[in-house]
Amino acid sequence: MDVNLNTHKTDEDLMGAIKMGDKTALEEIFGRYKSRIFRFAFSMLRNRADAEDSTGDVFLSIYRKRHTFNTGASFSPWIYAISRNRCLNMIRKKKKIFFMSLFGTHTGGGKASVDIPDDRSTPSEEMEKKEQIQHVRLAIERLPYEQREAITLRQYHGFTYDDISRILECSLEKVKILIYRAKEQLRRDLASYIREESL
Amino acid sequence: MNEEQIKQLIAAYVDGELTGDEKDLVENSIADSKKWQTYYQELTGLNKILDDCPQESLSPDKEMDIRSRLTQETNREDKTMNTKSNTMKIGITGGAFVIITAFCLMILPEYQKEIPQLTKSIAGGKTDEGRIDYKEKAVLKDKGESVSESDMSQGADLELMSQPELRREFAKEAKLMSQKRTRSFEVASTSHLAVAPASEMYAEDFAYRVDAQLHYEPTRDFNTEAYNRIYENEFKSVVDEALSTFSIDVDTASYSNVRRFLTQGQFPIADSVRIEELINYFSYQYPQPEGDKPFSVSIDGAVCPWNTDHQLVRIGLQGKTLLAEEIPLSNLVFLLDVSGSMNSPNKLPLLKSALKMLVNQLSANEKVAIVVYAGAAGVVLESTPGDDKQKIIAALDQLQAGGSTAGGEGIKLAYKIAKNNLIVGGNNRVILATDGDFNIGASSDAEMERLIEEKRKDGIFLTVLGFGMGNYKDSKMEIIADKGNGNYFYIDTEREAKKVLVEELGSTLFTIAKDVKIQVEFNPAKVKAFRLLGYENRILAHQDFNDDTKDAGEIGAGHTVTVLYEIVPADSQEQFQDVDDLKYQKQQIVESDDIMTVKLRYKNPDEDTSQLIEQVITEKDIAKELSGDFQFAASVAEFGMILRGSEFKADATYTHVIQLAEQSKGEDKFGYRAEFIELVKKAQGLDTRSADGAIQFKGQ
Repeated sequence: MDVNLNTHKTDEDLMGAIKMGDKTALEEIFGRYKSRIFRFAFSMLRNRADAEDSTGDVFLSIYRKRHTFNTGASFSPWIYAISRNRCLNMIRKKKKIFFMSLFGTHTGGGKASVDIPDDRSTPSEEMEKKEQIQHVRLAIERLPYEQREAITLRQYHGFTYDDISRILECSLEKVKILIYRAKEQLRRDLASYIREESL
Repeated sequence: MNEEQIKQLIAAYVDGELTGDEKDLVENSIADSKKWQTYYQELTGLNKILDDCPQESLSPDKEMDIRSRLTQETNREDKTMNTKSNTMKIGITGGAFVIITAFCLMILPEYQKEIPQLTKSIAGGKTDEGRIDYKEKAVLKDKGESVSESDMSQGADLELMSQPELRREFAKEAKLMSQKRTRSFEVASTSHLAVAPASEMYAEDFAYRVDAQLHYEPTRDFNTEAYNRIYENEFKSVVDEALSTFSIDVDTASYSNVRRFLTQGQFPIADSVRIEELINYFSYQYPQPEGDKPFSVSIDGAVCPWNTDHQLVRIGLQGKTLLAEEIPLSNLVFLLDVSGSMNSPNKLPLLKSALKMLVNQLSANEKVAIVVYAGAAGVVLESTPGDDKQKIIAALDQLQAGGSTAGGEGIKLAYKIAKNNLIVGGNNRVILATDGDFNIGASSDAEMERLIEEKRKDGIFLTVLGFGMGNYKDSKMEIIADKGNGNYFYIDTEREAKKVLVEELGSTLFTIAKDVKIQVEFNPAKVKAFRLLGYENRILAHQDFNDDTKDAGEIGAGHTVTVLYEIVPADSQEQFQDVDDLKYQKQQIVESDDIMTVKLRYKNPDEDTSQLIEQVITEKDIAKELSGDFQFAASVAEFGMILRGSEFKADATYTHVIQLAEQSKGEDKFGYRAEFIELVKKAQGLDTRSADGAIQFKGQ
């Protein structure tokens, strides 16, 4: 089968093909979603090694559970729901989140750690940017789990509140509240950066 | 409709989720009210900031991994082969070959002479020059010859050695074979394999005696350094004693001190090596605590690298990392020792430089004062706002060393100024900088300790910065910092000054949880014996755990605390029980899959009642192999045990430490881990201790 043909198919069509055992369709789905699923897992598990494992599990699941996908349903929320469940399983299994990642984005320190300039040089824009990114990551990481799920799905994965309620298996009202609370917390944590933005 | 509801609507509006009436309502509110307009702008600003934050990406290696897993799944192939390590194939067949060979060789003793030939051929051509007896190596180093580290394996070969099942096989084989060294083909043995546990040929395995230490001084100059004696924690039988209770510790002075020894070409004194401080010197990634909790707790386990029959359990605490807005205002009083002994370049000048770095971080709403003590005590700088940097730095620049030390008066004065300028809810702290030559004069040590304890209740904490060498009274400083609810750092270089006072400023200075205690209960059905690595100076009586009047250690913002236990599984053949079984009481073991329960108590900085956290781990939480931060921490622990000449170091060797550390170095942003590896190599070169504990003199 000519792989190139797959690039024009919708996700749902590809799932249909996968159900019939089409391996190249699975390849295509993998290519389309691997980064997003990894990012989501990383946001939730906050640990590269676990996120990598989880991502692999998700795609295996897609294949193994292919028959449970309803033709006519939307693919994207389905794969994210699976990803979410994988993450929850991982956390429950381990009871704790292990941090054995070799590639860190956070380091210890009272201030989110960046090279603090000495009094001979002034902070360059790049350095300030780095610091801001660290802060943002930290602020998100500190959100309670469900809030982090909701805001990540909205902000970084572009889902509507409706889809989010499907992925999180909760009411629309709850999604609104989760996102509102997350934003309130982030607004407080990142107040100084927001002030700069609006100047 | 109340404010809260409107805010919620605006939040949803910014996300484009509103329609109809609700949408109109929001748009009107924003148009009519400045307040809502501002809120709306803040939320859009927030969205922009969130969007600007780049996301993590999947590494190409891992991507390939997953792809191949998928391919296997769809092809329903046999899952044993990992596409990445072809050496595993060679490893398994090679391993089987060696095992069979070993077996044959055992029953055919006349073939034992053939072993070097065989291993040579398996090794694929590595010659005998590569294999050096460790005893020889020590002597060679001593003579200044360099021993090539070609023993060390590179790259992909390391993968083989990271397969613990294979490692165990080899360890067993090494024991079986009477030949002292086995070489496993291209993969250079990790030293703990090549050096079989048989003690007669294990050059670094010896019992370290303090007596030998105190009497050995052939080349070292006389000095007045003093360290508290450390009685190493031993293995405890769980049946005899199931509890382990201690206070946490975030001090790191021991590491900088050990570094100081080694960079000066001296082998560190055993009692200056506090293993927990070596481990805690490095930063590890643990998750941030969620919500209101001041710290998070992570527990995991893996096989023990220096004794593969045992396991290591790691407890990691991560103090909340504060964002800039959250770090409270500082009211600092520097209490500086400017006595004559502070005159050397690595003392007062370094101190001034360090403090300037710190002052640079302060804001207008914070205060700094400087008190000096030498001969008499005096105020060099009144409490001054943090942004008047010129004034503060000018005062620092004027400092000169002279006179002898009168610490007692200085401390009283420093605390007085701190109290007069107290910031409620802020970080009120006396920073004592000295080389430890703390001649109190009229007051006694005990009186000073009492003073410090008292001032602690006013909410004024104490940080001790140690400088210099020679007169360095480590023991006293550790006690003082302990009493003052503070922490204690040893500053040997500009770089260390930067680390403590700039990079880790918040954690150095801001306490987020105090009196943090740990109590672990082991399950005798799963664990036969346990040993706490380090924290000997922090052991608490078991009943002190629940006693809130008993003081313990503090965690600063962003601090991590790592605790390692070495545990012996219940099915081990080793014997630990010292006490006979009781005649009149029978132990009843409660059914459980838990390996241990970890309890922590802590207090919020301004409270007096503790809170409890409890967590269990089971066998499922024990990984087969070490990796990442856990592995690095274990390598540091192993190094500490070698330095101390610990009787529990089993198969620990320098080469093994280097290998573990290099594998788990990771990103190493500031290069501290690379520096550690260099220090290990230095120590290896300086280690002149021989198998029976006697010190070899140069030239012998």
